[in-house]
Amino acid sequence: MKRIVLLIVLGVVLNGCTDDFLDQPLRGQQELDDFFASAEASERFVNGIYQKVNGEGWAQINFFRTINGMASDDQWSGNTEQPRADITGIAHFNVFPGSAYINSFWEHNYIGITRANLALDQISEVEMDEDHKARLLAETKFLRAWFYFELVKNYGGVPIVTTWDELFEPEVYEYTRNSVEEVYTQIEQDLNDAIAVLPLKSMYAQKDFGRATRGAAQSLLGKAYLYQEKWMEAEQMFENVIQSNEYQLEDNFADVWKPNHRYGVESIFEVGYINNEQFPNIGGVYSTTQGSRADLGWSWGTPTSNLENAFLSEGDSIRLRSTIIKHGEPVYGDPEVTEFDAAPARNKSGRINRKYYLPTADRPEPYQIGQHPLSHIHIRYADVLLMHAEAAYFNGNEQEAIESLEIVRDRVGLEINMSINGPALRDAIWKERRLELALELHRLYDLRRQKINGTPRISLIMGPNGSFVDYNLNENDDPFETTNMGEAMDKGILFDESIHMLWPIPPEEIQLSQGRIEQNPGY
Amino acid sequence: MCFMMLCSINIFAQEIIVSGTVTDVDGMPIPTVNIIQKGTSNGVITDFDGNYEITVPANSTLTFSYIGYVSKDVEVNAQTTINVELTNDQGALDEVVVIGYGEARKKEVTSSISTVAGDDLEKITTGNAAEGLQGRASGVQVISQGGAPGAAPEILIRGITSFNNDKSPLIVVDGVMLPSGTNLNFLNPRDIKDFQILKDASAAAIYGSRASNGVILITTKRGKFGKAVFTLDVSSGVSNINKIDLADSQEYARVINERNINEGQEIKFTEEEISEFGEGTNWQDEVLSDFALVQNYNLGISGGGEDIKYLASVGYFEEQSHFEKGYRKKLTGRFNLDFQISDKIKLKQDISPRYERWEDTPNVFYNTLRIEPTTDVYIPIEERAGRNEFSIFDRSGIGVPNPVASVSRVFGGINYFGLFTNTQLNYTPFEWLDLQSQFGFNFDSSRRDDFNPEFFIHPNEQNLINNVFRRVNNNRDWVWNNTATYKNKFGEHDITFTAGLILDEQRFNYVSAYREDVPGQSEELRYIDAATGENMSVGGNESVRTMFSYLGRLMYNYKDKYFLTAAVRRDASSVFPEENKWGTFPSVSVGWSLADESFFDFDFINAFQIKAGYGQLGNQNINPASRFFGIGDSNYAFGGERVVTNTLNRFGNVDLKWETVEDINVGIEGTLFDNRLTFSIERYQRTSKDLLFQVEPPNYTGIPGTIAQNVGSMESKGWDLSVGFSDTKNKFTYSINTNISANESRLQEIAPGIEELFGQQRSDLGNRYLKISRPGEIAGLFYGYETSGLFQNQTEINSHSSENGALLQPNAVPGDLRFVDKNNDGALNDQDLTIIGNPFPDFTAGLNMDFSYGNWDLTMQWYGVFGNDIINYTNLFAYSAINEVNVRAGALDRVWRSDNPGADFPRLSSLDRNQNYQRPSDLLVEDGSFVRLKNLQLGYNIPLEGINKMRISLSAQNLFTITDYSGFDPEVSAGGDVINGYGVDYANYPLTRTFLVGLNFSL
Repeated sequence: MKRIVLLIVLGVVLNGCTDDFLDQPLRGQQELDDFFASAEASERFVNGIYQKVNGEGWAQINFFRTINGMASDDQWSGNTEQPRADITGIAHFNVFPGSAYINSFWEHNYIGITRANLALDQISEVEMDEDHKARLLAETKFLRAWFYFELVKNYGGVPIVTTWDELFEPEVYEYTRNSVEEVYTQIEQDLNDAIAVLPLKSMYAQKDFGRATRGAAQSLLGKAYLYQEKWMEAEQMFENVIQSNEYQLEDNFADVWKPNHRYGVESIFEVGYINNEQFPNIGGVYSTTQGSRADLGWSWGTPTSNLENAFLSEGDSIRLRSTIIKHGEPVYGDPEVTEFDAAPARNKSGRINRKYYLPTADRPEPYQIGQHPLSHIHIRYADVLLMHAEAAYFNGNEQEAIESLEIVRDRVGLEINMSINGPALRDAIWKERRLELALELHRLYDLRRQKINGTPRISLIMGPNGSFVDYNLNENDDPFETTNMGEAMDKGILFDESIHMLWPIPPEEIQLSQGRIEQNPGY
Repeated sequence: MCFMMLCSINIFAQEIIVSGTVTDVDGMPIPTVNIIQKGTSNGVITDFDGNYEITVPANSTLTFSYIGYVSKDVEVNAQTTINVELTNDQGALDEVVVIGYGEARKKEVTSSISTVAGDDLEKITTGNAAEGLQGRASGVQVISQGGAPGAAPEILIRGITSFNNDKSPLIVVDGVMLPSGTNLNFLNPRDIKDFQILKDASAAAIYGSRASNGVILITTKRGKFGKAVFTLDVSSGVSNINKIDLADSQEYARVINERNINEGQEIKFTEEEISEFGEGTNWQDEVLSDFALVQNYNLGISGGGEDIKYLASVGYFEEQSHFEKGYRKKLTGRFNLDFQISDKIKLKQDISPRYERWEDTPNVFYNTLRIEPTTDVYIPIEERAGRNEFSIFDRSGIGVPNPVASVSRVFGGINYFGLFTNTQLNYTPFEWLDLQSQFGFNFDSSRRDDFNPEFFIHPNEQNLINNVFRRVNNNRDWVWNNTATYKNKFGEHDITFTAGLILDEQRFNYVSAYREDVPGQSEELRYIDAATGENMSVGGNESVRTMFSYLGRLMYNYKDKYFLTAAVRRDASSVFPEENKWGTFPSVSVGWSLADESFFDFDFINAFQIKAGYGQLGNQNINPASRFFGIGDSNYAFGGERVVTNTLNRFGNVDLKWETVEDINVGIEGTLFDNRLTFSIERYQRTSKDLLFQVEPPNYTGIPGTIAQNVGSMESKGWDLSVGFSDTKNKFTYSINTNISANESRLQEIAPGIEELFGQQRSDLGNRYLKISRPGEIAGLFYGYETSGLFQNQTEINSHSSENGALLQPNAVPGDLRFVDKNNDGALNDQDLTIIGNPFPDFTAGLNMDFSYGNWDLTMQWYGVFGNDIINYTNLFAYSAINEVNVRAGALDRVWRSDNPGADFPRLSSLDRNQNYQRPSDLLVEDGSFVRLKNLQLGYNIPLEGINKMRISLSAQNLFTITDYSGFDPEVSAGGDVINGYGVDYANYPLTRTFLVGLNFSL
């Protein structure tokens, strides 16, 4: 009996210890509950939001931007060795909604948004320097606006989530798509909040270059206005950027996309890629994804002869040589390559994007994707000047428009007819945009938003009667494009304005939301 | 020492001395068998070697009896030598079974417990005892995971009631619970005395929150009183792999040409080129050898005296893969000791060490099926200059990685060391009280090494810098059981009460290191120390789960006719948040032995019992991190410098609670015709609720990954049936046992906000999911488009239209699939996705037959699965030439052409504008039913003087399979959890046909 008593006593004693025995914390990982305790932690968390601007690696976000470029008249799908329904098909408007790239672009922009929502929720409670806190919160709002702008441009109206707390409400699983207008309202509000707080570029220390600035927020807001054809607000916002005197054009056009040339005078918002062998996802990817298949690249999104002709028709040799590399020719700025191999048998156009090309001397060893020290500039001053010109034109301020246009042309030694006006001026601005920003992945968005008598320009360029389709089917005599039939010449012929002004919502999202998130028309 | 005992000896003139040996059916001597001259008190017992000598009248009768064996009467008839073989007393309900924290007579068991004897496993040569369980017990489904060395079969008890990937039952070895997910690889099958499979909740509830997938109690063999017995078992043989008939170069080229012609494109190969091709590369023959080695050796010694009994066994098992790489070698030891310290104190001490070496088995079946036969294995010798041994391979024109090259680069392997000790102390102060404290400790250390060589085949098939990786896992877990058992009888009332207190801790640790650039990549430099690259990483972490439990159980019977068992267990687990830590799991079951009633008087019925039980079980099989919100770190760059970033990488759930299973079981069982026929029929219903699942929220929530949630309930119903018959006629003994299990698991409800669960997302099918689970339906059904044949002509395409005449499939041409507009809305889109198959069988069955005649014996073990569907994912390219991958032999006869209108596969097409092969559809679904001869064994006992047993055998495992399934193996397709994976086949290592010779020797 003694032993029974002992056992019972033992049980009672043990029971007293069970709380400790049963309390097993999460090991080897910080917990959210204790995380936001310092300014350092808060800043590192905000740093993490920036990661979703381009995504980690090539596939999350970057590649869908490349596909966008491929669907324009500036770029072919390019890689004829591995044509794929979920890449080549989309570039040709034979859209495969289930493309992993359409899905991951959606997914990772939203992951960015939730990181931002969590930062806004938590950092406001952190005890830290108030200015620093305000800046971090403003950076966060800039980034949240960035993500929503990326989404609305590609998918139209999307569900809006703006707080961390709502993720714990059952209703969050029943959201439907908000309207395009509501998304833009959210973007404008965040950017206005950010502009009120963010420092100018010149106010940041060197180590913080690459963070959102007031100029970046103003430029992005101006762009959001422009996309909504709010010409007055847009012009005003771009004027703010110009008058801040924070930015100027690089003297030499070739320097805009120079490796290891980060945060230059022209750069307004960029992902400042660096080479670091140990951390592969803080370097660039486009040099590989868009590089020649004979040069350790994949040849996606190679330049069209149609684009080259646009340069030639303008006599624009300075920008041409810094935009397009042609098979068999030397590479401008890379003295070591006298005869470039663009692998025309595996590349539709025998051409390669010079802007993302890394000259031999700048190549780190090993030369690998995710480690290229070539920044990705999202917004630069020339872009702002041309958007300003465009907005000014539509506000009837043709003189201001011409002045902005002149600055851009002047750098590359092109004259401007100061008496140009009306639609000719508009077309000149648009063409300048194409040449200046060629292959920088803005083109498809521009073609979709720019309208002539209410008709989107893309409908005039693509589709059965589109000028680009007509050029390729009837006029094109390019020796590369007409011989490599690995990619069809009729690219764009399937374009349908009633469908292809937006990309499809990822089918996965429709399934996961039990159909509450509805598909775009036509898909 | 001599244990021979002579009792009263009467000397009569006609008395003779009779001697002999008493053995069991396996020829093992049985000591201490009672031998009595019938009708007298004259008797002796056998010695260590089973020998006896007795003086009796020449015309008397001897009775041989021993507990657990059928007593036997033998007339002396003046013989002086009488050798007797005693058979196990199997029919008797007095057999003792282990029930978890105690034992009971079989008759007392009112819950559902199946017993499989270790002897039944010994006929199969396998590294995993579960293999031998297949088809042996009703309600127990064993799903093979293929023929790769070390592939552990999955054990499913009474269907699936959880979404969790880990559906495997709790394994308890000699009373010690092992961590969830433990498979039987660690055990030497020869060390197993028997399995008790606790199938229903009234049996398993004593294991509370660990028991929702059922419990398998394993008892290992122990030393018996008697002289040392030495055993040697050897089996050795080869396994043969099944291959699929693929197109050769010429056929492949013709398929590609037809595909191009169908699209109006130029042909790719001219007739001249085709005729020069020959057969091309047979990739299956290049990567797979026809035969691989299997061998198994076991050495054992056991015996004991009054104070100490011992068993020592050593086993070695080895199996090779059919690839150039891949094996598993296992060395196990077991030392089980029993000490009788005093009348009241007993101690058991078991130690079981284990060492295993695994070399990774490549898994290149999928690519082997896809790579085109026109690609060579190697590049020509003259092009190999300057290339290392991993770079001399040819590159597939379409970019399928060269499988031979892939195999050559596999340099991974694992070394395991495991040690299991089990100490059990029993103190019996009174006859009616037993106090027991048991401490089981399990240590498991594994080291994984990997080397990825530097090679260059093509810019898209290359690794510029080699790397080495090592990971060391140290896992240890312990269980401390403390129980008190009170057992007493008051008149006709028989009471057993057990109380217990259990602590359990499982601790998992690892460290890992990775570094690039081993100079020269020679074998002796493939260690982290030799690597020189800047790119390196290290990792290390620990996770711990603990559990604290009380339990109590009352077993009561009245007149040995009416039985009751009631038990309750309370568990607290560290994986749940504070408020939800504790769970209570009660059970009750009753039984009635009708055959013992006077009104139930049928001569041919030996035993007949009805029983019913109810119980609750829990499931805590979730990642202990599930309730936490985790912060991870990563990198970004500002100002030209790397900065550290932090991100949310785990979205936790603070409301997590136990998954519970409620279960009702009713059954009848009995034995008839002098115990020759046994039968058991059981019906059960299990309901699980608060199911734990990793839910994927809509992506717009921005939640990284998935959230562990309690998302609903499932109901599983089924029948377990088993019938056995055994008899002996002269020298001919036979037994036939069959069992059938039928089960259906339906999802009942999902938590608010979630109306469907999807699984098995496929990027090549538009990121759609192949599986869906909805309330009211079987969980994890196949989901896709229904098709109704192929369009034979344009008229059919035109008539496949909406009410206003719009074509449903405007891109279709004759020979394309006709997709069904399931919701009749006049448009074909993802609203038309529907159920296209059920991965679960209607029933499974086992049939086991043993025959022996004299010294010959024959065993057959059959297993069948009926009525399940499989998504054969290789159908996506088997007849499509999609992306120009290889096709099956005879493809041209299987695809539609205007002159082949009866074909079942659509026309060949490169653009596939109709998306025949870009949507999930019933084209991928096949019937997965099969019947397999698991084992066929013929044995012969060579009678030899002075030797207990000398048996040689020939056997064939998986000799043949009857099935319509076109993939490698219908069985190995079924892995993965019910929601996500179950039933989808991506071409895995099939089960192999194994031929063995065996030797069983005992001295």
